[in-house]
Amino acid sequence: MANRIPSFLLARSTARSFKQGTGKVKVPFLERGIDHLAGVIRNGYAQWEFSSQNGFFQRIDARVKVLFLLFFILIVSLKRDVLPETCICFFVFVLTLFSRLNILRVYKRVLFLGFVFGFLIALPSAFNVITKGETILPIVRLPQSYHFWIYHIPAEIGITREGIHAVAMLTVRVINSLSLSFLVLYTTPFHEIIRALKVLKVPDSFLIIITLCYKYIFIFSKTVEDMHLAKKSRIARELSHAEAREWIAGRLAFIFKKARGRCEEVFKAMIGRGFSDSIKFYGFRKMRMSDWCAAIFLLLAGILFLFI
Amino acid sequence: MENLMRLEKVTYSYYDNIPALSDVSLDVNDGDNIAIVGANGSGKSTLLQIMGGLKYPVAGRFLFRKTEVSERSLRDRGFLRLFRESVGYVFQDSDVQLFCPTGLDELLYGPLHLEIGEEEGMKRALEVMQMLNIEHLKDRPSHMLSGGEKKKVAIGSVLTMNPEVLLFDEPTNGLDPRTQVFLVELMLALNESGKTIVLATHDLGLVAELGARVVVLSEDHRIEKTGSAEEILGDQNLLLRVNLIHEHVHLHGKTKHAHLHSHYLFHKH
Repeated sequence: MANRIPSFLLARSTARSFKQGTGKVKVPFLERGIDHLAGVIRNGYAQWEFSSQNGFFQRIDARVKVLFLLFFILIVSLKRDVLPETCICFFVFVLTLFSRLNILRVYKRVLFLGFVFGFLIALPSAFNVITKGETILPIVRLPQSYHFWIYHIPAEIGITREGIHAVAMLTVRVINSLSLSFLVLYTTPFHEIIRALKVLKVPDSFLIIITLCYKYIFIFSKTVEDMHLAKKSRIARELSHAEAREWIAGRLAFIFKKARGRCEEVFKAMIGRGFSDSIKFYGFRKMRMSDWCAAIFLLLAGILFLFI
Repeated sequence: MENLMRLEKVTYSYYDNIPALSDVSLDVNDGDNIAIVGANGSGKSTLLQIMGGLKYPVAGRFLFRKTEVSERSLRDRGFLRLFRESVGYVFQDSDVQLFCPTGLDELLYGPLHLEIGEEEGMKRALEVMQMLNIEHLKDRPSHMLSGGEKKKVAIGSVLTMNPEVLLFDEPTNGLDPRTQVFLVELMLALNESGKTIVLATHDLGLVAELGARVVVLSEDHRIEKTGSAEEILGDQNLLLRVNLIHEHVHLHGKTKHAHLHSHYLFHKH
């Protein structure tokens, strides 16, 4: 073997030192995105860690929590005023606090998503172009009003009282729905949620898809992270956006192929262990007195919000 | 011998909670041949990834040629080039390492990024292919290669960059005996030619064959002992303590035997 080593490998590298201050390497946007994928794993771990804590909501049976989630999301959708929505928001905040969750981490996400999917999306409806009503903040004055097809643009464009109410309602609804979902997700181990859904007669095929997707997210985010590290170990300069895109496109094809192969293997393993189109669970925990008490408390709270 | 790498009380944990390395201090000198051994989960791969500048210590420092390797220092163009040119990393899973359309592209990827020049890069790629007996894989895509072929292409892709230090993560895992022998011979030859070799493994047979300086990681993620291959492999209590050998009970006819057992090193009664 020794005499087959190419001469360039026998030559010692001339690089012994480097010139500092030759510029900084910029990390392309896509590269940073891959780094964030590692965050997916971290967040999954955080969810598992939170759900194992000994807080108020963690101690409640998963079935009660899933029913609570469905019931409260229904209430949130039925309410027509900002005040009861705000009360629900405060109630969920208190539950989150009692469940010893990291308030900052949970509400940072809730408020960001609420801002994007609630406020920003609903913002145009604050204007009298979309929502008719009493204009309380005029913004633009046109020489005349315009009318074409089904649209009417008034001479004075501004924000209406009804529009503000609509935006506020949608934003608070989104925030409430998100905080309710995060509260349940962060306080319940994933497998408990699946068991609860099974009890609530959610179809098995749906549960299998959710379970496998959840597992695959972790497997493939780990694979992508490893691929990223492998590339990083061979890159000695800054990559352009185009090169980063090219690499990602190539890797997508690889992941697709790998996912298909893994899917077949997992399915064969399931078949080999007697899988027959249905999910079987063992040893359902019996509802304890504390679970019943929590269920009644949450039910009464829900009914109260219904009548506020 | 000149000091290449220095780890000073390096600590690393996953998700800020699961410890992977605790207070690891280690010196790697020019031309060293080092094997990091330990049971599964002892932190071998994490240590290797820190040495490859792919992960950064949570506490402690990792220095390469007296410069601290950190996310910040690797943003400096000059240092990034020096470090990546000098340190090559061969991953355990070759699949993640091979991302170019063909075998030849893989081997050319490093030299082209180092701006070595196409002609010189091509010369290197062909010479490395000859050495590794993979000329016939030149135009083949990576998904059409066997495990051993993938490993050879992955090694080739690192060798064309002519690094001073080669980091191998579990290099013989999942390879057939012939490819394993080939790899051992290659690592020995590269070391003899002046390259610094660091490998992470729990294959004690490989450690014995390479005659490497051995760093033993314990299950609590610390360096348990450092010594020559002979010294470490002869210390059965140490190997038992770090879970690299185990007590094995089986039947010989109607007699029950209990003895220390390693799949690679010995099988004593």
